[in-house]
Order: sequence, then structure tokens, then C-alpha cells
Amino acid sequence: MSPICAILRESFDDYLGDALPAPQRKMLREHLAACAECLGAAAAKDASFLFARPMPEELAPDETARILVGVRTGVGHIETERRIEAATRRRFAGVAAAAAVALLVLTIPGGSNARREPGTAALPAPVPSSGTSEQAAISSGLAPAGLPAEAAAPSSSATVYDLNPGAARGEPRVVWIVDRGLDI
Amino acid sequence: MELVYSERLERKGLAELPDRELAIQARGGDMLSFETLVSRKTPAMVSLARRIVGNVEDARDVAQMVFLRVWKEIHRYDEQYSLNTWLYRIATNLAIDFLRSARSRERAHGATLHLVREREESTAAGATRSAEDRELARLFEAVSGRLSEKQKAAFVLRELEDCDTKDIAQILGCGESTVRNHLFNARRILRKEMARLYPEFLRGRTRV
Repeated sequence: MSPICAILRESFDDYLGDALPAPQRKMLREHLAACAECLGAAAAKDASFLFARPMPEELAPDETARILVGVRTGVGHIETERRIEAATRRRFAGVAAAAAVALLVLTIPGGSNARREPGTAALPAPVPSSGTSEQAAISSGLAPAGLPAEAAAPSSSATVYDLNPGAARGEPRVVWIVDRGLDI
Repeated sequence: MELVYSERLERKGLAELPDRELAIQARGGDMLSFETLVSRKTPAMVSLARRIVGNVEDARDVAQMVFLRVWKEIHRYDEQYSLNTWLYRIATNLAIDFLRSARSRERAHGATLHLVREREESTAAGATRSAEDRELARLFEAVSGRLSEKQKAAFVLRELEDCDTKDIAQILGCGESTVRNHLFNARRILRKEMARLYPEFLRGRTRV
């Protein structure tokens, strides 16, 4: 037994107890891989010493290539999945944006009515042109500016929409007169 | 023809880059760098996975899964930390998951599968390894069956891959004292199993 063998054998307990610094640990492992006598002594102390050595897997080049091909295929799948997910996300975002706009238009008070042409179903029923609302609208100065009083008076072809959606909240009343007889 | 030639030249240049640089380039979406990294790390990943799952066929599958996971998560790679520790962490976790599902499958199908695999192994992978390494690897596979997944992973990382306790704790996601505990129990079980299954092997060794 060489002096180095004797020194290293004294460090078996420290090795097992995880108390050996990395350089000595490495030295011991390398020595055990090369010295059958010390490996036998170490195995007699603790059988797990038999496995205290690197057992590298030597892969043939074609096996490595086969794994690489598998990885390449897998990466292709991952990228395809990512593209599909991104397209789905974009489509979803478009639908969500459209829904948000629609919701916004519907929730603004009178918003949807303001954009509709008169006569569509969502508008309130027209008030007869000879009614008091019509007179009130004229007297409160709703007639188009710059027109003579006769012109301001709604003709028989006029329709008055008396909208009052925010009356409960104290919002101003809106009167909308559509007179197809006016030539402005 | 021109493209293949330039790709080869590029590959040659990449082969000289350190792991860290390759990983940074792969993080930027460079497939060639990633493939160079895969080729370089495949033997280590297969070796580690083989020690944990116990056969080379499954180890190859695990290695593939490791690299696919790496590609998926490469945007998270932080070059301040060791690439090897990150790879070992992914490989160990996937191998442990694989071993758990394989153990449950084997419990269902009996030990036949293991015997068939052992025979396949001896013909497929053994050709290039030295006889002693082959014998020790076979011995380890035989006696490590009683270790828990974590004990086995800790022992493989410590003794076969020569990782230090701190790295193993990072890889397994536990404390250093837990790692020491796993190692202590793994050695105890291996001692018992060796004495039970291969007493003549130990006697033979001690006589040397």
C-alpha cells in the first residue's frame, strides 16, 4: 500500500459524512477509479463506494442524431401550437373588442337611439304634431336659428320626438323635431 | 448546396462557443445554437436519466423531453446561474416523474417488462462501455430498486455525477439537510441490498 493510499483511506468517513472539501473529494474518487485495492477497502466499509465514480453513457453518434431529430420534430410541434394559440388569442381579442364597443354604445344613455334613424323600433312613439309638446318645443326656442317664425313653426309633415331619458336624474329634456317639409 | 455549406460553417463556429453563449443565442430564437447545445448535452442527459429510470430506452425519451422543456422555457434562462444546474434540475424532475409512472405501470404489468428491458439493454447500449462500468451500472440498477425516487436522484447526482450538496438541493428543490438525509438513507439501503443480493461480489472485492 502506497502512502497516498494510506492517506486517502483515512478520509473514507469524511467522504461518507459529506465533510470532505471538493478537491479532496475529487482526488479520492479519481483514486478509487484507478486503485482496485482501495476500492475494495472502501466497499468493505460501505458498499455504496462502488458507485462513487462517473459512469458516462457513451452514445453512438447515430443515437445522438436520432434524439436530435426527435427534438427537432417536437420543437416544430411546439412552434405550431404557439402559432395556433397566438392566432386564437388575436381572434378572441378582436371579438372581445367588438363586444366591448357594442356594450359601450348600449350603456350610454340614449346612445343607441341617438344613432338610429327616426322610425326604427327602438325610438319612442312619435307624438302627434298638433300636440302640446310641439308648441312647448317651439316656445322654448328649439326652432332652427335664423328662420322666420312661420318657418320655425312645424308643418304638418313634422314629427316631434320628445325624449326624456334622464328626467329622473335631473338631466335636460331633449326634443327632436324631424320636418321633412323644411328646405334648409 | 450553398445553404448546407454555410450552415455547416456556422455549426463549426457554434461548436466552439461555451454552453452559456449557446443558451443565450437559443433564448433569442436561434435554432442552430439550440441544436448545438442539444448535441453537446445529450450524452450527459441520457446518462443521468438512465441512472434514475434504469434503462437506456426510457432515458432517451426523458432526454428528448428535457430538451423540449428547455426550448419551451428558454426565455426564462438566466445566464447568471449555471446552465448545467438548470438542465440537471429539469432532467432529474422529468426522470423522477417518469420513474413514478413507470413504477406504477410495472406494478400493474408485473416484472416481465424489466427483464425484457434488461436483455435489450445488454445488446443495445453495452457495446461501447467498458466491462467494469457495465457491470457496476447493472449492479446499481439491480440494487437501487428499493430507493425512493428522491433518494435515487440524490445518490445519482452525488456519486455518479459528482454534484455538491448545494447544487443537489437546488436541483431537487429542497434543503441541504434533506439532501444529506436522502444520501444517508440511500447508502444504508444500498449497503443492505448489496449484502442481500450480491454478498459474493462484496467478498470478492474485499479480498482484492
